[in-house]
Amino acid sequence: MPKLLRGLRRAAGVVPFGVYVTLGLFAPMAAVAIGAFEDNNGNFTFSNVKAATHGIYLHGFWQSIVLSVLTSVIPGILGLMIAYALYTAKRGRVLRQVAITAAGVFANFGGVPLAFLFIATIGSSGLVSQWLTTLGFDPYAHGFTLYSLTGVVIVYLYFQIPLMVLVILPALEGLRPAWREAAENLGARTWDYWRHVGGPVLLPSFLGCVLLLFGSALSAYATTEALTNGTIPLTAIQIGSFLNGNVIAGQENIGKALGLGMVVIIAVAMLIYVVLQRRAAKWLR
Amino acid sequence: MAAIAQEAPEGIAPPRRQGIVFRGSTVWRWVVLLVATVYFLLPLWAALRFAGIGAFGSVVSESGFTSSLALSVRLAVITTLITIVLMLPTTVYVHLRLPKLRRLLEGITILPVVIPPVVLIVGVLAIAPGFIKATSLLLALEYVILAMPFAYRAIDAGLRALDLKTIVEASSSLGAGWVSTLWRVVLPNLRTALLSAVVLTVALVLGEFTMASLALFETFPVWIYVNSQTSGQVSVAASLLALFVTWLFLLAITMVGTRQSRKTGGREVTLFTVARQETRGD
Amino acid sequence: MTTNTTKNAAAASDVIGQAGPGGGTSVLLQNLTRAFGVTRALDGLSIEMAPGELVALLGPSGCGKTTALRIVAGFETADTGSVLVNGKDISSVPAAKRDMGMVFQSYSLFPNMSALDNVAFGLRMRKIGPASRRKRASDLLDMVGLAPQARQYPHQLSGGQQQRVALARALAIQPRVLLLDEPLSALDAKVRLQLREQIRTLQQRLGTTTLFVTHDQEEALSMADRVGVMREGRLEQIAAPDELYTDPATAFVAEFVGVMNRIPGELQAGDQVTALGSTLPVRGHRPEESAVDVLVRPEGLGLEVVENGNGIVTTRTFLGSVTRVGVQLSGDVAVQVDRPSVEAAALAPGASVEVSLPAHPVLVAARRVS
Repeated sequence: MPKLLRGLRRAAGVVPFGVYVTLGLFAPMAAVAIGAFEDNNGNFTFSNVKAATHGIYLHGFWQSIVLSVLTSVIPGILGLMIAYALYTAKRGRVLRQVAITAAGVFANFGGVPLAFLFIATIGSSGLVSQWLTTLGFDPYAHGFTLYSLTGVVIVYLYFQIPLMVLVILPALEGLRPAWREAAENLGARTWDYWRHVGGPVLLPSFLGCVLLLFGSALSAYATTEALTNGTIPLTAIQIGSFLNGNVIAGQENIGKALGLGMVVIIAVAMLIYVVLQRRAAKWLR
Repeated sequence: MAAIAQEAPEGIAPPRRQGIVFRGSTVWRWVVLLVATVYFLLPLWAALRFAGIGAFGSVVSESGFTSSLALSVRLAVITTLITIVLMLPTTVYVHLRLPKLRRLLEGITILPVVIPPVVLIVGVLAIAPGFIKATSLLLALEYVILAMPFAYRAIDAGLRALDLKTIVEASSSLGAGWVSTLWRVVLPNLRTALLSAVVLTVALVLGEFTMASLALFETFPVWIYVNSQTSGQVSVAASLLALFVTWLFLLAITMVGTRQSRKTGGREVTLFTVARQETRGD
Repeated sequence: MTTNTTKNAAAASDVIGQAGPGGGTSVLLQNLTRAFGVTRALDGLSIEMAPGELVALLGPSGCGKTTALRIVAGFETADTGSVLVNGKDISSVPAAKRDMGMVFQSYSLFPNMSALDNVAFGLRMRKIGPASRRKRASDLLDMVGLAPQARQYPHQLSGGQQQRVALARALAIQPRVLLLDEPLSALDAKVRLQLREQIRTLQQRLGTTTLFVTHDQEEALSMADRVGVMREGRLEQIAAPDELYTDPATAFVAEFVGVMNRIPGELQAGDQVTALGSTLPVRGHRPEESAVDVLVRPEGLGLEVVENGNGIVTTRTFLGSVTRVGVQLSGDVAVQVDRPSVEAAALAPGASVEVSLPAHPVLVAARRVS
């Protein structure tokens, strides 16, 4: 008995945190999870889930996943290239500091302000659009529009690439120069080194970062909302529209089912991320 | 090259290689960096041109600017206070007394990163009692949840660099009580970590859009969006301002933090950890 | 470990093959200089290495020994001077084509490969087929006593094991020259001793010309055929270990290698110096000032128990067969004298003794003001 009491007394220190997290995080999530399976009268039903996985909602999931894959793989590769360029710069220290700070700012910059920045740049009357038109090529006349999936991808790069750079730089710096030198000493060319040592060691971190970007892209709401006003079916936007009241009454719980679906997708992605990071950490020790 | 191969003992010859080796092709590297710089700076320039200098002036006088900014700032302050008051003692306590719970704590604090804010707000609005829903306190309370991953990680990193147990034991062996130890020994060594946590939290709150707009509160980012319907230029100017202020803010804090940490023999302060940054207002 | 090493080393030459009928590779470092900004890391270093010889570069950190090694390996280029291998200038040959095996200080194993794959890497670069390179690699691992660890990854191996794999990896390619950059400094004492032996035995069996960099004088003295003591980018002396010990060319070498006493004395005309009541010939460099310190090894001093001698015994440190006796001389000078322990047992702290200098030429150095 006294042992149990002692244990409880010790745990007392984390009670405030526990309560807060329960009320602020677990309870709302439970509400979403439960609500996904309730109909308007509170009875158990699969109809919400069914609706959420068909029709425009299925289309929304599909679009979201496609968009997220595009805006995680592309910035993943581009971010790696930029990070590598920074990493190998000879007099790089100042450059690296500036770049990291800039990356930090840009990675946090998104949503509405970002959307407006791009509207001003490649929107229908944006600066670059006008330049191109005076040069004889009007992108909008050729079917390009910022307010499409392509446009959204271009905008997402603005915060996804910096995020990638921030996350992959430490992994690059974890590549010991001794490995490069040992490989060279044993006769390896640059390509051999990357193929046999550098690449494999970096791969888990790279994949992990890409997954991180995937989750980040999937949850994104503000940027797309500001750009497209809901014209592109994306799950995040669709969930939002349930709250905005743009939806037939009596179907609110479909939104919860959609939410549940999102969480499941991201959870799986994050799980893989954690596993990969553990593996990378072991190698880079 | 052939001469060297002949000198080798029989058995294994060194690898043959033709061609020139480019040690870190400089050209390619600068091309990449140049393109990247253009991509990131061009929209800023375009936005500046679009808005026009005049717009910056009228930003402040635009209706709703002051009230929305005030709301955002108020929320930032409240959120930061609650976050620190909640996370600091908890993290220190777990480090000291319940080290086995650290894994669990890490796991819990990564959840808000995994859960899209848009989903979270659905759940929150479903269960929050009416009297909280009516005030912006709702947002502050939920922002604490959003800020938790970053605050925790910042404080955790700061504690891990400390060898907390040893200095606490040293302090108590020299006669200091709990409060004294916390106040004079632990806290001063966590200044950078706390600074980090505060900055990340503030940046998050000031930029958060999703939950605020769906909960129907007009914070600064929401105001920018709403106002864009009427005056695009002002909205763009406000966006640039937001970006610039954030950048100044982070820079200042980093510099102050670095100066302080250098005094105690630390290194440069880096605010950005591996965890995903949610402060984009998504 | 000892018996295994010899047995394995014998097997080694069967596996790898001797260095060749010519007996190995000669290496010549000619007047190497290298400056990093204002600091001169190397200031005209010249060393001649005979085939099959193990030369150790010994010196304090910053003396340039690692820079010299890296220049030989091809990871740095000298500002002036050249490196000749078997008479051919390799200064412009890229590192990957120099056919030298290098063992780094630590953590140089490729983390994503097993021990076996690490060892086989150099062979893979030389386009040796998978079956034969795997066989060779496992023979090499066997040779360093790590056959059971073949499938393990570096993070699962201890520091000592990792360095053994690194050694096997470097030897797998049958290098003409073996380069070791402080390979034992990151290991703890017991492992260090074992590995020292193993490296030396292997190297001798294979007859591979080896350059070994270290700051540990014991290591250098016990392993090398010749030791080069370096200071500030220059070679102070290069000689066999015993010669280095008994006949140090300069005061720096004398004090860096082993323990040295400093006894104040006065230079006299005719290359003589007086100290402790005796006058002795000076050997080696003669400083400008007449106030000098005479440098003598602890085992070189004479010690006699007398009444009213020139010193008082202060401490006694038992070192096994020999005891190191600390004596305080007049004039605030402390010396250490080694005596056989049987004798030293009779010396109690506080006893009055007479310390005398040996009757042969001594090294002198400018007096150090403490």
